[in-house]
Amino acid sequence: MRRRVFLAAACCAAAFPRLARAQWQAPGRFARPEAGSEEGGLWSMMDREEARLRRSPFALRDPKLQAYVQDIACRLAGEHCPDVRVHLVRTPFFNASMAPNGMMQVWSGLMLRVDNEAQLAAVLGHEIGHYLARHSIERLRDAKSRSAFGQFLGMFGLVGAAGQIGVIAGMFAYSRDHEREADAIGASLMRNAGYDVAEASKVWENLMLETKARPGEDASRSSPLFATHPPAEERQQALAQLAQASPGGVANEAPWREGVRPYLHEWLNAEVKRGQHEESVALLSRVMTRPLATAEYRWARGEVYRLRAKDGDLDLALEDYRGAAALGGEPPETHRGLGMIYRARNQAAEARASFQRYLEAAPDAADFGMIKSYLEDLRT
Amino acid sequence: MRLAASVFAVIILSFAGLAWSGSICFGPGAIRLAPGFSSLRKGATVVVMPTNIELFSISGGGVPEPKADWTEAASTHFKAALLAKRQALGVNMVELTEKDADELAEVNVLHGAVASAIGMHHYSECGDALFALPTKGGKLDWSLGETVQPIKKLTGADYALFSWVRDSYASAERQAASIGIAILSLGRAIPRGGVQLGYASLVDLNTGQVVWFNRLARPSGDLREAGKAAETLDALLAEFPIAK
Amino acid sequence: MRTHMGTLVAAALVVVLAGCAGPVTKVATGEQTVGDRLDVSLEGPWNQVRVPALAPARVWTMEGLPLDRLLVYSGIKNEQLIHAEGPASRKNFAFRSTMQPDEIVAMFEGMLTRDGSSFKLVKLEPADFGGAKGFRFEFALTRRGDNVQLSGLGFGTVSNGELFALLYQAPRLAFFPRHQPRVEQMARSARIKT
Repeated sequence: MRRRVFLAAACCAAAFPRLARAQWQAPGRFARPEAGSEEGGLWSMMDREEARLRRSPFALRDPKLQAYVQDIACRLAGEHCPDVRVHLVRTPFFNASMAPNGMMQVWSGLMLRVDNEAQLAAVLGHEIGHYLARHSIERLRDAKSRSAFGQFLGMFGLVGAAGQIGVIAGMFAYSRDHEREADAIGASLMRNAGYDVAEASKVWENLMLETKARPGEDASRSSPLFATHPPAEERQQALAQLAQASPGGVANEAPWREGVRPYLHEWLNAEVKRGQHEESVALLSRVMTRPLATAEYRWARGEVYRLRAKDGDLDLALEDYRGAAALGGEPPETHRGLGMIYRARNQAAEARASFQRYLEAAPDAADFGMIKSYLEDLRT
Repeated sequence: MRLAASVFAVIILSFAGLAWSGSICFGPGAIRLAPGFSSLRKGATVVVMPTNIELFSISGGGVPEPKADWTEAASTHFKAALLAKRQALGVNMVELTEKDADELAEVNVLHGAVASAIGMHHYSECGDALFALPTKGGKLDWSLGETVQPIKKLTGADYALFSWVRDSYASAERQAASIGIAILSLGRAIPRGGVQLGYASLVDLNTGQVVWFNRLARPSGDLREAGKAAETLDALLAEFPIAK
Repeated sequence: MRTHMGTLVAAALVVVLAGCAGPVTKVATGEQTVGDRLDVSLEGPWNQVRVPALAPARVWTMEGLPLDRLLVYSGIKNEQLIHAEGPASRKNFAFRSTMQPDEIVAMFEGMLTRDGSSFKLVKLEPADFGGAKGFRFEFALTRRGDNVQLSGLGFGTVSNGELFALLYQAPRLAFFPRHQPRVEQMARSARIKT
């Protein structure tokens, strides 16, 4: 377990000359840098941000889920396991980051999007790759020569410090070389932890489905990770090659789906509330096809269609809500959604039935009073 | 000049999380006491909340770079200077552990917002604050109410002292650049350092009232060395309501 | 020299906080009319802060913008933006006369969370407002920038196709409980001029 990681670079010498020249070996654990060094400054600042994150209401403090993700990160990090501290954060964007001091953030938007442990491992392994290869220090030196320090901090997911998500638009990307290196290291870490490397490229393919769906604008707006790790054609190819070089390994879909089940509704709701309808439809259409996908996913897509309300959307929403109800185990909001649409279409009987069902299924709902009054209005 | 101003803005936006008002004049600080409060009781206990200090070096390119050794030193000097002052202030001082700070996170965060509000709406060295709130009648009248009870419970103190400092210093290369510009601008001196921003706030743990608040905003000051750090602390605690 | 630096810095800050606030005026106790159309009866004075970025909503506060804010919407028309159009990167929100209470609340939720803050509806129920049938809602908001946890209270109604609403938020500790009664009283006293 705690052995040095070697990268079988034979196949990839052409794509990764830098790596092939000297067989890459994970360095030993990093010592805390001298306080006076540039790295030292960053480290201390990250320590303070970590304390802030620990105390933040946006932190997802679930011991079971945290331990689960921590274990995956730990097995990936090998000898560096004791230095990696996983923090789960409630924010509906696809991102994970690792700061030079070992603080790792995993955002709930990422946990919603990965289908299995292997895909999560691909992203975490990639971040650990940046950490092991000390890319951030090179980035810091670069940042000094441009006035982009705030954006640099933003790389470590310090959205609070850097302010709004809008800052991400100008995010500081790693160089192509760094990306390739982190991909290669990440793939190697994945394989050594027993995961199927073929899942790595799927993560990026899936994300591209979403971002391509967004009308007009820059893909980087929706995903900080996407902004710092632009998936170019060659990266896809490189990842595919890495997968071919290391066949085998597990995906572990079942335990992952089981592990995040308690949060699925919350995360789906947060995704819907993002208000990025096109991206949400692309995402939800994809994840709905997961084996044994629950009614939650169909309800969520129904919500997005209902809120988008473009031509034909209300019919699509009805279809999804009904589909969710047919599956069973649908969230009560399914019937509220149906009721809203029937009400808007003056289908009073159907609206009454749906609202009634909602109120029965969710007696403690925040909007109980409002929906009850809609129901009463429909009776008159 | 413009570079320094933009650095100022970067510091605020990137690291402060507080909104400081436009009415910053680099004059001597105007200190305010809450109505009805003039001094601490002799022998009162003050809990020193962990000081929120960050020190930066500004490189030639104007980018603020956090300096761990400076920040560490500043925190040490600040604490030492504060403890040294306790006799002069006539109070007992207790510190808050990191663990206790975890428990008191929400109150701490709340105080940060209160300090922001005071800084924005009350504080001014140049006559009436630009955004003074008429209902406050020019008084320092902000209270956290009962929310400070947990601090009192954990520490047994009568008052809590909060402080926050952001300070930036010109690196050698920047000073050289500054001097170069100074020569070019016909000898008009340009402040060699960056900007020092801070506040110190004293809260009565029985009532939650902010009984004393001082805001610092000036181009100079130095927390990196003990001697100069003491000067900054003096400025931050100017007209502190010494116990009588 | 210090003044020179100070002026430059002040100018930079005013630019940086452009649209943040202008002068503050007192809203006196007694009968007040907001935007020609909404009468309220105040039991105590408020402070009105000019915030161009939030126009046409009025911004009132008791303790200062970093702490509490009351947004007063008076006669927002169909298809009108509830706040001034911002930079292209910022989402805008337009009121539509056909909006139901849950949709109006969703619109406010979108506005309150566009900076990454997180919103949770606590209660939404019918209530009279302004002398018409309307709604009342309570919410919790965790502010992204500084992690302050806020409680919120809102009232609204659509009268002749126009939106009238009050939206109040303050830290859930100390400040919200302190001022909530006055906001409730203000809402009860509100009358829409027809």
